[in-house]
Amino acid sequence: MEGGGAVGSDVEREEEEEEEEDAATDLLRDRFRLSSIRIAESEAKRNNIQISQPVMACIADLAFKYTEQLAKDLELFAQHAGRKSVNMEDVILSAHRNEHLATLLRFFCNDLKAKEPHSVSLELCSYSAQLFTP
Amino acid sequence: MDDNTFDPDLIHAIFKLVWSRRALQREKNEGAQTLEGETGAGTSKKTRPTFANANALKLSCELLRVFVTEAVERAATIAEAEGASKIEATHLERVLPQLLLDF
Repeated sequence: MEGGGAVGSDVEREEEEEEEEDAATDLLRDRFRLSSIRIAESEAKRNNIQISQPVMACIADLAFKYTEQLAKDLELFAQHAGRKSVNMEDVILSAHRNEHLATLLRFFCNDLKAKEPHSVSLELCSYSAQLFTP
Repeated sequence: MDDNTFDPDLIHAIFKLVWSRRALQREKNEGAQTLEGETGAGTSKKTRPTFANANALKLSCELLRVFVTEAVERAATIAEAEGASKIEATHLERVLPQLLLDF
C-alpha cells in the first residue's frame, strides 16, 4: 500500500477514508434498524397485531432514508437562517407541509422547553469551551 | 407515554455523517473551481460542519418515532380491515404513497 507520488497516496488515502466511512454508515444503519424495529414491534403489539419481518425491515430502511433526507433539510434550513447550528424551529419547519405533524412537534418542543430552561446557558458553556481549546 | 424512541446520540451520529459527507463534497467542488493549494484555517472555518443542539435532536427523534409508528398503525388498519392477523407487505404497500406524502 505504498503510493508512488504525492498524488497517488492522496488518492489512496481518500479511498481508504471512503471505505471507513462506508463501514461507519453500515454500523449506524444497523443500529438505526434495530431501534426502529423495536419501535415497530412495540407499536404492533399495542395494536394487537403481528407484523412480518420484511415489513419491519422495509419500514426501518424507509426511516433511515428519511433521516438522511432530514439531515440535508435541517442543514439547509439552518444555513438559510445564517446559522451553523440546527435548532428546534428547523425541525418543526421540516414538517410544515403536514399541519397535524407540525402541531404535534410544536407541543413536544414546548414540553422540552418547559423541562429544561437552562439549555441555552449549557450551549454557551460548550461553545466557550470550544473557543478556549487551542 | 412509552419511552421507546430513538437514541438522540445515534441520530446525531447519522446527521453528522451526512453533514460531513456533504461538506467534503462541497470542499471538493470548491477545490476544483479555485485550485488553490492552501487548505489552511480559512477554508476550515468556512466549511466548519453544521451542528445540532440537544433539543433539536430530541425533536428529530420524536419525528422519526412518529414516522415509524404511523407506518405500522396505518398498515395495521388495512390489515384489520382485511381480517388478517399479521401485517404483510401488501398492507404496507397500500399505505405507502400517502405516508410518504405526509412526511
